[in-house]
Amino acid sequence: MSRRTGDRLAALHLVVGRWSGADPESLEFALGLLVADSRWPDARIHIRAEPLALRCRACGREFEPEDLDLACSGCGSSDVEVTQGRDTRLESLEVEPDHGEADPS
Amino acid sequence: MAKRIRLEKRVVAESDRLAAELTRRFARAGLFVANLMSSPGSGKTSLLERTAARLGGELRMAVIEGDLATDRDARRIRKAGLPCRQINTGGGCHLSAPQILEALEAFDLAALDVLFIENVGNLVCPAEFNLGEHRRVVLASTPEGDDKPAKYPVAFYKADCIVLNKTDLVAATDFSTEAFRRFARGVNPRAPILELSCRTGEGLEAWLDWVRAERRACALGRGGQECLPREVRAARRAVARPARRRGR
Repeated sequence: MSRRTGDRLAALHLVVGRWSGADPESLEFALGLLVADSRWPDARIHIRAEPLALRCRACGREFEPEDLDLACSGCGSSDVEVTQGRDTRLESLEVEPDHGEADPS
Repeated sequence: MAKRIRLEKRVVAESDRLAAELTRRFARAGLFVANLMSSPGSGKTSLLERTAARLGGELRMAVIEGDLATDRDARRIRKAGLPCRQINTGGGCHLSAPQILEALEAFDLAALDVLFIENVGNLVCPAEFNLGEHRRVVLASTPEGDDKPAKYPVAFYKADCIVLNKTDLVAATDFSTEAFRRFARGVNPRAPILELSCRTGEGLEAWLDWVRAERRACALGRGGQECLPREVRAARRAVARPARRRGR
């Protein structure tokens, strides 16, 4: 995906964890502005919200808390570790070969 | 036909890489580093002033101060006898690993035992950014209310030590120490909860003992990644591991 190959960015796939500190709506808004001003203004932005997942260190149960209440839904222990939902990740890019179409830039 | 390039790259991967580099630098210097986080006004600077006065003859300490503006806190720390570097973030709501790397230039790390990083007063964003520290200290103060751990669970969840300051003001507020402990334990069953008053000095000894003990624990090992909290080590390993699948 470069000027040389002529590939076009078709879509960005992001994952935003519930505990990542990033807000999906704000991120989509900001990225939309950046993309519109880029070489690939038609690129789509997909943001998938990832729920918070916890594992109880006391009983081993894996669960997704309803609220930000971290207590184990099985045994009630709050000795839990976060197994999912802490990251904001750029999961993948979709690119399309640009078969002689006009370069959007 | 579109092709999918899998990246699975954490957006903060570069920040994590710099944090790991900071931990290695601290380890080489035999330095124990604690990152202090709280709302504005909980007493981070006051705690460091007290620590300077009480441990100054025992440990060689320095402070990095983070604030949006002014060097008021740095001047307080220097007046208390510790070398200090002020970082002004402008509008930034937290300190970042590159800022710490730059601030380290001000110190001879090999001549220090303990470095305190006083983060920008904010219970949200500082919790998201690792600065290479060995331990995270989260402060709360009684006038803020006893439900802070429930309302800001990420910061308290990640804390290695929870300090409750301004216990001398409990009588003047509706604060319930028991409720605070219950809320804190609801998100963090492990970290010690140290009740103290920087103003009166009551309870400070437990904090000083915690600093001594944690510093010893980190100096006994090689001071590198092995004495970091379990979850930080796991995150570091995840960053170091190369992507398993690369889409074509």
